[in-house]
Amino acid sequence: MSVTLAIAKREWASLFRLPVGWVTVALFLMLCGSVFALAVLNPGQAASQRALFGAAGWLLLPVVPAISMRLFSEELRSGTIEPLITSPVREGSIVLGKYLGAAAMLACMLAPTLLYALVLWRVSARPPEIGPLLAGYLSLLLPGLFYLSLGTMCSAFTANQTLAFLSTLFVLVLLLLGSAMLPNLAPAGWRPALAYLSFDARIQDFAKGVIDPRHAVYFVGASIPPLIIAGVALRARRLA
Amino acid sequence: MSAAVASLCPSPTVFPTVSPTVAPTTMLDVRDVHKWYGSVHAVRGVSFAARRGEVVGLLGPNGAGKSTTIRMITGVFPPSRGAIDVDGHSTVDDPEAARRAIGYLPESAPLYPEMSVDGYLAFRASLFEIPSGDRRRLIEQAIERVAIGPMRSRRIGTLSKGYRQRVGLAAAMLHEPGLLILDEPANGLDPAQIRQMRETIRSLVQNACVLLSSHILGEVELTCDRVVIIANGTILADGTPADLREKHAAGRGRVVVEVGRADAANAEAALRAIPGVAGLQTAAGDAEWVSLVVESTDPTGIRAAIGQSLVRAAIACRSLQAEAPSLEQVFTKLLEQSRTEAAA
Repeated sequence: MSVTLAIAKREWASLFRLPVGWVTVALFLMLCGSVFALAVLNPGQAASQRALFGAAGWLLLPVVPAISMRLFSEELRSGTIEPLITSPVREGSIVLGKYLGAAAMLACMLAPTLLYALVLWRVSARPPEIGPLLAGYLSLLLPGLFYLSLGTMCSAFTANQTLAFLSTLFVLVLLLLGSAMLPNLAPAGWRPALAYLSFDARIQDFAKGVIDPRHAVYFVGASIPPLIIAGVALRARRLA
Repeated sequence: MSAAVASLCPSPTVFPTVSPTVAPTTMLDVRDVHKWYGSVHAVRGVSFAARRGEVVGLLGPNGAGKSTTIRMITGVFPPSRGAIDVDGHSTVDDPEAARRAIGYLPESAPLYPEMSVDGYLAFRASLFEIPSGDRRRLIEQAIERVAIGPMRSRRIGTLSKGYRQRVGLAAAMLHEPGLLILDEPANGLDPAQIRQMRETIRSLVQNACVLLSSHILGEVELTCDRVVIIANGTILADGTPADLREKHAAGRGRVVVEVGRADAANAEAALRAIPGVAGLQTAAGDAEWVSLVVESTDPTGIRAAIGQSLVRAAIACRSLQAEAPSLEQVFTKLLEQSRTEAAA
């Protein structure tokens, strides 16, 4: 586990040493700030960030691939993957370490948005409730972790960061659109199953302040297969 | 590469094949290893062993199979056939133990440019799970051995090529591996840096076996106790540089004679008449002097006869140098043989 944490720490610190990390954080805060200013901070409206949290799936869309794109692609491009995979570290530790490092970066990116809650606290007649606020942050964090797992997987297949970014973006847009549209378009018999698979509905539940453990299990569970596939891709390189 | 000039240059430093303080245990055993890339048979039955206390050079032209062989040893990918043991651990059946025994500096020393030297070495120490009690000491030791102390807090991306190579070497030796593998360690270094790298490698062999690949023949000759010559995925020769010269370069020695340009024709005639002269060529010269290259089976022994012959013919001679057969000549000869056999 210490090796996994060492890889995670290196990954996290590297993202903050590079301009791409800071630009990504700035982009995310600009997007969130815009939604907060335009849709949340309205006179006479209840002190709720539901509009912000409800858009989490889309707000994370451009920034998560920017975090995940370099996880493996940069290592493959620069050749640093070679000293890494020739050290006595298992593929699982490498993938998990990189994923956790990126997850820590995501958490750091979310942290400044807590200021919005403080602003609401200050300007609202009735202060916002803690429960919906926590649920709202789960709507950012859990889908973010799921997105990151897909980004990690895409990054493990290519040495080209741009391709890793675009392929992650493509998969995420496909999932988001499918998640939002398919339950309404599909034949009636399919709708319950598709509605169950839809993660947009789960994001909306969190945004409403509903903390359903099944939603958490769903996002955590959905994050595992892409990480396994990333590990398999890394192992396949060793066995090539 | 210039050949060693026996008559003028001091003898090259002779390093012991095996350090007297270290038991000559086999650190690397490569047995009948093959590698196919699709239909391309890149490595064809390579077998060799290396012991602790030895610097073994893997020598070959580009595309010979050196890097593929090294990557199979380090576990980047497994051999298609055959077996590799590192310190008694199979790279296929017990890969983690094998990797733990290896320190590896890949070609062009890939490093994380955004990290500091200290940070990178600490990261490498974590990967090898070096106990925290030993970590600081080993990092200090590695930094001292490759002389990168003044650069330790700098970002790797800001370092020169030579320093980056040294950081890579420090990372490779950090966990005190029994087998140190260096892929083209002298690539891109200036002559002073190459000399420093050579001295560092020689100092490491006290406690480890070093396998280095290179296509810089002079460097291999100066650094290695043993040389494995590889081409087209097969081993052409394996032995000490002296053994290889003796075995494969017989008849290739040369004596370079500088004579007055006015006497060149007479000198050629006189030299051709000497028994044992296998060939004679005219090399570069200036307005007054011209160099004649005498090929002989015994370049050292024939010098006296050449001197006497020139004196008898009253030919002005400025210098007379016997050139011992070089590793380059061995390499060229073996490569030519290999190509001829492949063509046949």
